[in-house]
Amino acid sequence: MLAFIIRRVGQMVPTLFGVMLLLFVLFNWVGGDPSYILAGKNLSPEALANIRHQLGLDLPLPQQFLLFVKQVLTLDFGVSWSTQQPVSSILHSRIGPSLLLTGSILLLGTVLAVVIAALVAYLRGSLTDRLVTLISTCAMSISGLVYIIAGQYWLAHKAGLFPIMGWSDRVTENLLYYLPLPLLLGVIVGLAPDIRFYRSCFVEEMSHDYVRTARAKGLAEPVIMLKHVLRNAMIPVVTSLMMSLPYLMMGAMLLETFFGIPGMGKEVVMAVDRSDFPVIKAITIYIALATMLFNLLADIVYKLIDPRVQLS
Amino acid sequence: MNKHALLAMLAACAMLPAAAADMNKVLRVAMNAAETGFDPAKVSDLYSSAINENIYDSLVSYDYLARPAKLVANTSSALPTVSVDGRVYTFKLKPGIYFADDAAFKGKKRELTAADYAYSIKRHLDPTVRSPWSFLVDGRFIGTDELVKAAGKGALNYDTPVDGIKVLDKYTLQLTLTSTNFNFLSILAMPAFGAVAREVIEANRDNTNAHPVGTGPYLLKEWKPGSKIVLEANPGYRKVVFDSRPGNDPVDKAVVQALQGKTLPRVGRVEVAIIEEEQPLWLSFLNRQLDISGIPQAALQDALVIDPKNPLKVRLADKYARQGIQLQRQQMQEITFHFFNMQDPVVGGDSKEKIALRRAIAMAFPVSETIASIRRGQAVPMNYIVPAGVAGHNPAFRGAPKYDPAAANVLLDRFGYRIGADGYRTRPDGKPLAIELACGTSALDKQWNEYWQQAFDKLKIRLSFKQGKWNELSKANHQGKLQMWGMAWGADYPDGENFMQLLYSKNAGDSNAADFKNADYDRLFEASLKLPDGPERNKLYDAMNKIAVVQQPWIYGDIRVRSTLAQPYVKGLKLHPLLNTSWRYLDLQK
Amino acid sequence: MSTPSSLPPLTAANPSHNSLARLGWRRLRRDRLGFAALCIVGVYLLLALGAWSGLLARHWQDEVAKPFAPPTLFVGVGPQHVELNAADIDAASQRSRAAAAGDSSAATGLAASEDPLAADMAAAQQQAAQYRSAEAPKADSLPLGADQRGRDVLQKVLQGTATSLLVGLSGALLALAIGTVLGAISGYFGGLLDDLLLWGYSVFTSVPDMLLLLAFAAVSGRGIGTVVLVMAFTSWTGSYRLMRAEFLKHKSREYVRAADAIGASHSRRMFHHILPNVSHLLLVQFSMLTVALIKYEAILSFLGFGVGVTQVSLGAMLAEAPAELLQGYWWQMLTVTVVMSLLVTAFALLTDSLRDALDPKVK
Repeated sequence: MLAFIIRRVGQMVPTLFGVMLLLFVLFNWVGGDPSYILAGKNLSPEALANIRHQLGLDLPLPQQFLLFVKQVLTLDFGVSWSTQQPVSSILHSRIGPSLLLTGSILLLGTVLAVVIAALVAYLRGSLTDRLVTLISTCAMSISGLVYIIAGQYWLAHKAGLFPIMGWSDRVTENLLYYLPLPLLLGVIVGLAPDIRFYRSCFVEEMSHDYVRTARAKGLAEPVIMLKHVLRNAMIPVVTSLMMSLPYLMMGAMLLETFFGIPGMGKEVVMAVDRSDFPVIKAITIYIALATMLFNLLADIVYKLIDPRVQLS
Repeated sequence: MNKHALLAMLAACAMLPAAAADMNKVLRVAMNAAETGFDPAKVSDLYSSAINENIYDSLVSYDYLARPAKLVANTSSALPTVSVDGRVYTFKLKPGIYFADDAAFKGKKRELTAADYAYSIKRHLDPTVRSPWSFLVDGRFIGTDELVKAAGKGALNYDTPVDGIKVLDKYTLQLTLTSTNFNFLSILAMPAFGAVAREVIEANRDNTNAHPVGTGPYLLKEWKPGSKIVLEANPGYRKVVFDSRPGNDPVDKAVVQALQGKTLPRVGRVEVAIIEEEQPLWLSFLNRQLDISGIPQAALQDALVIDPKNPLKVRLADKYARQGIQLQRQQMQEITFHFFNMQDPVVGGDSKEKIALRRAIAMAFPVSETIASIRRGQAVPMNYIVPAGVAGHNPAFRGAPKYDPAAANVLLDRFGYRIGADGYRTRPDGKPLAIELACGTSALDKQWNEYWQQAFDKLKIRLSFKQGKWNELSKANHQGKLQMWGMAWGADYPDGENFMQLLYSKNAGDSNAADFKNADYDRLFEASLKLPDGPERNKLYDAMNKIAVVQQPWIYGDIRVRSTLAQPYVKGLKLHPLLNTSWRYLDLQK
Repeated sequence: MSTPSSLPPLTAANPSHNSLARLGWRRLRRDRLGFAALCIVGVYLLLALGAWSGLLARHWQDEVAKPFAPPTLFVGVGPQHVELNAADIDAASQRSRAAAAGDSSAATGLAASEDPLAADMAAAQQQAAQYRSAEAPKADSLPLGADQRGRDVLQKVLQGTATSLLVGLSGALLALAIGTVLGAISGYFGGLLDDLLLWGYSVFTSVPDMLLLLAFAAVSGRGIGTVVLVMAFTSWTGSYRLMRAEFLKHKSREYVRAADAIGASHSRRMFHHILPNVSHLLLVQFSMLTVALIKYEAILSFLGFGVGVTQVSLGAMLAEAPAELLQGYWWQMLTVTVVMSLLVTAFALLTDSLRDALDPKVK
């Protein structure tokens, strides 16, 4: 197991290199020229050249890339080009709200989805099954944007159940006061497709022969469900969880924008908008690292769920 | 209790700065775009400037109530004395003004001196600071050109004596201009010229934007870039007592009543949220999570009762008026326009057929209709390069051609832009005619684009849109790659020169985005620089405006009228045309 | 990499496609819900075909009604719209100019003698009649109401559905094709090829969508083509991972080994033998992707990466919703939401039924 982990961590190096290369090419190709933002109303050629010089944009590209490599190795991305805050402190202040929001949505959403999906898969073909499937099919057919707009308008403004928006420095205040509505909306948006997908995984797993064998052995249905089906069906569940990570960013961005949550999604949009390369670099690299770690974690979890899986 | 001790305590209290602000009062406001930072020499956006105005002190500022805006002394004890030739300004600072405490001062109180202003002004010239405001000071003071040249690409030597920026004694600053400039004091009133302390800047060289230390009424308590800014009353702020005289505006009386004889600021904490979406902004205000807010475009219909025959005559909708919400309105000192790239082979040039093409496009764009539908009547058509409220404006002038797409079509016919077999026009030389309009990507941009599409459809000219981020389009324009693009220009100071320079050929590629080059215009502009505001200069401005009408480098847009709402318990609010915020004057009486 | 190398043997062999398809069709016809969904999707496709070919909703851009004209059944229920028009704005600005001219000695604009085009302008004004067209009267209400510009929401939603279907289907198909081909190669062959593709996959998933999106949009301009490409390029990774895992699982199963024994080529084994056995997963994936992409398009439109002004999609209509809802004009948002959810629901239900009907393991 340990050897496997070490090998996988080793494999991350080329991936990281690929990400850096892609990012560097993308930014230099289409990323925009930050000097035009920093120059404000003063767009004289001298002013622009001066800014480019200070940002190191007039260096040859290979040298710029080497600097990038150095930044990644030291995990020090310098200061933001637009706000001049150290990138590390920007990310530090952004990661908490993001984790709180997307983490709680992911956690609550997955638990609910797995439980409901297992239940309806167990009751496959019954009225409850059809009803839940139909409702979640309808629910997932509505754009997330509609949920957010309508939720904020009706639940927060008209009904006054929640604050319109806001975020505090205290975790408890966030959890109890500001988080509930975005959390609710985030879970609603994600729940329906998850239920449908997990249900199909469970149903698929239940049609396997070993389930029939277990039934023939006289095992009680709940035992079969919990001990066999659930365990095997967890593989696609974990896969889809990992798949959903990149999408979370996008969804969270809308929630962050509408509810004033100072998270990572909003920061990405702002950085891209301002061509703030140090921030873009840092966020991309950290996300790449996180994605790779999650993938590794997924494989380890496979192993724990299903001992037949060999970690090669 | 010991009598002497009590007296000593009272005496001590009298010595303390007047900390009048009530720390329990929290003002909650919103800005609709992200700020960039708080170093006055590094930021130029409206939102950062709004914060800086409250952290730093300029030498002079504006009276809160007087209209038109009136300059008053701020940290100087009076308005400066000016030499007869209008070139030498001498400022006397008030003694006893201190910077807010900071680690860079090593625990000592740090007094504001003339040297601080000299340093702060010089920073705008420093190549390593890369100030977006350098165009306001470049070549303005005697001797600074040499200083800048000596610096090359490196840092400016602040210790080299310069004749134009002289510290006569601890409290006296003398500025000598290379030539007379009638707007110099208004320039110094901008938040960009607030005083910073050299020790602080040098101690925080890498992130001066995140480390503002000034002498102003507030200090930065918390900063989450792009989402939240918290200001707290500066406990060491000098004693400033409200003493503005009321004018004819009925609002003035209420302001004076709330503030007369009181020390400023009143509110102990200002929380600024950055809210870019209209819905959360508006709902937050309605649910009293914000104390002051503009009215987002989409909510104008809901919030205002607009008289269709006179759309600028509005009142607050009954449901909000009943709650006691206050409405204040102000026409902005800005212009919006679309420019043609005057060096472009298709839309540029000054031959008659090119002028005809530009004029036809201008005649086909329904400015009034966009004001009615997109602005909900809350704007006036632009007809003069200098907007109302800015010295040099001519309200009687009509610079925009009459909307008449039918006549525009005939005009194109007459100049040989024939309609081809495919139903679209060609150029006089038979080549296909297609025009590209640069634009942003927001939902609002899309609304405008629909009108542009319609205008070009009516003219039977092919139109495509070049959507992009602002900086990308700005770069493309710089390289002469755009044909048309929309712009807005807000007054940096309330003088026509700030607007007329937008078509001066020496500013081509800089603020002259259209790359307009016209010798007559230049000659008139240079002549106008030598004149103070008055009928003589107005005559020159009219002549220059006529050139712009004939040549049509711009299609005039509109000038917005801003509506601001405040909750009933907000006291002391009056919108100012040049001050970005009125936070220091506000009181909350819940 | 994880390799489930010793799974219990499966009895399912590789059934003939023809019989499976025929069996599926019979089963689908028996499934009433699935058949209804099929009909609904069919109707949508017909409508979309009508709009694509220009038979339906060709004039969606015409301003046929007053701005925000309400739906016919709800006249008077919605918010009172104070109609402003250009003539009033002109009149108001003319008044203020006239008031100012009273005390100003300045001229009121360009005199004809100063205008190099004066003669042409005068002639143009005279001959303008040939280009003037009578304004059609604007309706006070429409079956489903009008938008800000007075366009018919019904026509708009027809056209928008056609665009969104085109975008969603082709985007999903493209994403699925990329994901399946790469995933199949990766999972089936393994080894160096797998490592290489996996490398590309990890790199791609590690860069935030927002960046990729911006890059593609900047390179290829705006429009339907770009939206499809952007969606495909940012969403193929899910199918890749799924297909890779499936091919990895299936390639060691008996029926594939059997095919190997009778000398079937690699491509035949991959796409003839394995693919049909995972096609039900592909269908689920296709349904999910189409649903996701039609909704993704809405978010792209909201972010300003949607279709151009001469086109309309459901997402572009939805992007107008926040501003309208704030003013109390709910009809466009409701119409789009209903049309979109009916389409997506029907699509999803159909796919469910198809999956059940085509599952080779269900006898």
